[in-house]
Amino acid sequence: MNARSPGLGGTHRLPTTVLVARREALMRLRSRVFIGGTTVMTVLVVVGIVAASLLAGKTAPVRVGFSGGSQALEQTFTATAASLGASVTVSDIADVTAGTAQVTAGTLDVLVTGSATAPTAVAKAAIASNVESALSLAAEAARLSDAGLSPAAVTSAMALVPVQLQQSPKGKDNENLFAGLAVGILLWIALGIYGSQVAQGVVEEKATRIMEILLATIQPSRLLAGKVIGIGLVGLLQLTIVGTAVLVAVHVTNVAEIPALGVASILGDLFWFLLGFLFYATAYAAVASLVSRQEEVQSAIAPISIFQIVGYLLVYAALPDPTGPLATVGSLLPPFAPILMAVRMAASDVPSWQVGLAIALIVPSIVGLTWLAGRMYSNAALHLGTRVRFMKAFRG
Amino acid sequence: MSDDARALEIDGISKRYGDVVAVHDLSLDVSAGELFGFVGRNGAGKTTTMRIALGVLAPDAGVVRWLGVPLTFEARRRIGYMPEERGLYPKMHVAEQLAYLGELHGMTGAEAREAALGWLDRFGLADRRDAELQALSLGNQQRVQLAAALVFAPDVLVLDEPFAGLDPVAVDVMAGVLRERADAGVPVIFSSHELELVERLCDRVGIIDRGRMVASGTVRQLRTGGQERRWIDVPMAPASWDAGVPGVRLVQADGTRRLFELAPGVDDQALLRAGLATGPVREFERVEPTLGEIFRSVIEEAAA
Repeated sequence: MNARSPGLGGTHRLPTTVLVARREALMRLRSRVFIGGTTVMTVLVVVGIVAASLLAGKTAPVRVGFSGGSQALEQTFTATAASLGASVTVSDIADVTAGTAQVTAGTLDVLVTGSATAPTAVAKAAIASNVESALSLAAEAARLSDAGLSPAAVTSAMALVPVQLQQSPKGKDNENLFAGLAVGILLWIALGIYGSQVAQGVVEEKATRIMEILLATIQPSRLLAGKVIGIGLVGLLQLTIVGTAVLVAVHVTNVAEIPALGVASILGDLFWFLLGFLFYATAYAAVASLVSRQEEVQSAIAPISIFQIVGYLLVYAALPDPTGPLATVGSLLPPFAPILMAVRMAASDVPSWQVGLAIALIVPSIVGLTWLAGRMYSNAALHLGTRVRFMKAFRG
Repeated sequence: MSDDARALEIDGISKRYGDVVAVHDLSLDVSAGELFGFVGRNGAGKTTTMRIALGVLAPDAGVVRWLGVPLTFEARRRIGYMPEERGLYPKMHVAEQLAYLGELHGMTGAEAREAALGWLDRFGLADRRDAELQALSLGNQQRVQLAAALVFAPDVLVLDEPFAGLDPVAVDVMAGVLRERADAGVPVIFSSHELELVERLCDRVGIIDRGRMVASGTVRQLRTGGQERRWIDVPMAPASWDAGVPGVRLVQADGTRRLFELAPGVDDQALLRAGLATGPVREFERVEPTLGEIFRSVIEEAAA
């Protein structure tokens, strides 16, 4: 007996939609395409995260050398830098010329010279803004202290304004942009793969003529629903595997400060995949039901693929400015929302009303498309041979 | 036949595709346990009629009844169907595919699996059950296709050209299966161009031409409408002998044997007496028209 076979040992009569979904899922889970694709995607994201963590590890901490009177700033600078989130090491430099040579040689990142109240910094290239701020604040404290304020008064005068964050901190820094791009590309690939699998599956049943046998025992709408659910679950499983690999890799490499790689964000990405898949899969199924041969699938789905490609291009347009008008409007429109909104949420903070509006727009679109697809599919499913015109399939 | 015996009834169905009339006001019925053969030229409307009977195609007019009531979706699911355009999943394993179709028709997983293996065994494909369908020869794919129509123990069988492309052994197996299902009380309708087979196998035959049922009944009933023929061997008769009996026409001469066609109502004993008048009669044989001959004459009549 073949343990993989449906039908083995079951004692229940399952609804036809469930049977169709189970077949679609099982056939795909067994295929080399699924196993190979999942392996490649998982390896790519894990390698990306490990590489990112290695690169990140190389940049910190910033080595700062103080010479002469500026050495009095060391303690304040170190404390201020720590509170600003900059990782620094400080050292005393006896000779300014030797210190400058160290900066040139790259063994020192910043050399501070001059007095504590009027220091000058030497660096090879631009220094991180929080390091620069820490240095300025330290000099300011020295000046205030020089002007006669007690050290305690200086400390209280220099106290940073405490900011309580309501959301996880997200800047437009490179890590978030990178995460946003990765999310965008992965979603785009997954929507492309699984959307076109629905189209291929619809045409396969028409091309092999099994449609006639199937429709003698199952309503077209249920056949369509089973197909979309089965393929969608496979896609969701694949992305969940990749997402889990990301979480594990992040945990192991300790680059957890990237919020776009947290559990909540990954669940959000899976949610957007689901909405995007339902949107595109039903549209693909509708147009694919118009043709009868595999060769015609690509040209049939082209009008829908264009929306997906535009969505992909908008990712690049939106990433440099995730809160700009182009990104904002694009991420609200149903054809682009699944990719663009996920990218924006990874790269920056998105007001919750915008997320809500995007969902409020795409859900009715999916319902409408499902109705349209069911209608076209029912009317065109048994029409074999020549291509069915859109209006004919729509009217029936 | 009483009305109660009519299991599947196709009543006055019509279907047009644009200007083309595929089926016009066609009626037929099949009783429980009856094998009904459906013959007609290509494009006569057989496939359209079967698709309508299955409910995969909606008629423009007319109704299909099962046990006296219009066919419901649930009743349709109990029909075993073999479409003219063969179709199964090429990459799915044979047994798994049959089990899947069994479940789609309402069996449990275990029942479907058992039935699938049973039919594969019956068709001599037990060793190919875990092969992909596309790896099988066309003849074996055809057997799987028939198994797909049988796997869920259907209440009705509708088979479009089930014998096309089968080797003689497979034809015998399939004919045996159809007879067995009919004997089990299942009404069976099938179409075929193998008129000899239809004549041998079917309880009743319907001849369809250009969308209309032009003749139907048992082969014996169809014969009564046709011409009576007699072979007579008259060795002493002159070469030009044509019996000279009114209503008797010479069709063919083969040595001293001659084939005559009798007009309706003509007594064949008049022909025999005319033969005896020439001398001895060595042979006098009644010739039953084959279904093929009936088919051709009915089609010619319909065209006239």
